[in-house]
Amino acid sequence: MTNLEKYNQAFVEALEITEDQLPGLEYQAIEQWDSVGHMGLVATLEDAFDIMMDTDDIIDFSSYEKGKEILAKNYQIEF
Amino acid sequence: MLLEGKTAVITGCSRGIGKAVLNRMTAQGASAFALVRREDAAFTEHCAALSEKYGVDVRMVYADFENENAVTAAAREILKTKERIDILVNNIGVAFPQRMLAMTPMEAVKRSFQINVFSGMLFTQLISKSMMRGRRGSIVFLSSSAAFDGGANIEYSAGKAAVLGEVRRLAVELGGFGIRVNAIAPGLTDTDMGGITSEEVKAAAMSRNIMKRMGEPEEIADAAVFLASDLSRFMTGQTLRVDGGLL
Repeated sequence: MTNLEKYNQAFVEALEITEDQLPGLEYQAIEQWDSVGHMGLVATLEDAFDIMMDTDDIIDFSSYEKGKEILAKNYQIEF
Repeated sequence: MLLEGKTAVITGCSRGIGKAVLNRMTAQGASAFALVRREDAAFTEHCAALSEKYGVDVRMVYADFENENAVTAAAREILKTKERIDILVNNIGVAFPQRMLAMTPMEAVKRSFQINVFSGMLFTQLISKSMMRGRRGSIVFLSSSAAFDGGANIEYSAGKAAVLGEVRRLAVELGGFGIRVNAIAPGLTDTDMGGITSEEVKAAAMSRNIMKRMGEPEEIADAAVFLASDLSRFMTGQTLRVDGGLL
């Protein structure tokens, strides 16, 4: 599984959405991605990539695209 | 056993209430991460003895709760083990001799809040991520009867009252993850911290105490075991006063 597939899978699993909803998806744009859903998503991503996200990154994680940016920049995850 | 197979993280374990909580929780079958400020041979031996006696893991983690970087490093050390955390007991605290606000340097207030409020909040922020992942857990904060009656100095009374607000809010935030958050408010307890209380203050406290004595650390620890266990599974956002009945 590629890193992008793992990343997408985390969203699908944690937020119970379909992959076609991912592009452009923003925090709090859908009911499932509220603060509780956000922490569930972070936990799923941490497990998937074996990382521990900093609090600042959890706060900055405001969209599907921004999340990729953060993982690439701060956790050396290549997409 | 009430806590068999569970893992607890307990701060401020080297003595007093924290050590009693560690003793009681391991006796009830919990493995533990025991946080202490610095390495100590006697405490290391104590942890090894608990481990052998009860057949649980007791691992020491060192952190100075005055230093936020040290708090973060300690939490990361625990999280790196990938062990699911079931229980967090935020016990660490510091108290200074009684004095009026007019005679209290703000630096002392900030130092007290750093240890009694901010570091515990930061530590909870980090450790609760493990509980969120497991979608269950119990967090117990040690507050104080001083939060209700101002029975200690200004920074301690105010800090311990802040903890109660934190408990109420965290219970709301973490309830969706199956995590319960409660507090214990001990009265004057027979610990080293209780020992810095002046005789005058002790006498005043005893005069308002129905049971006319100080609490034992084990009596507070038993309340922590109750709140950590499934016996309290329908309790969250609450404060248990374990103070001998203060009038």
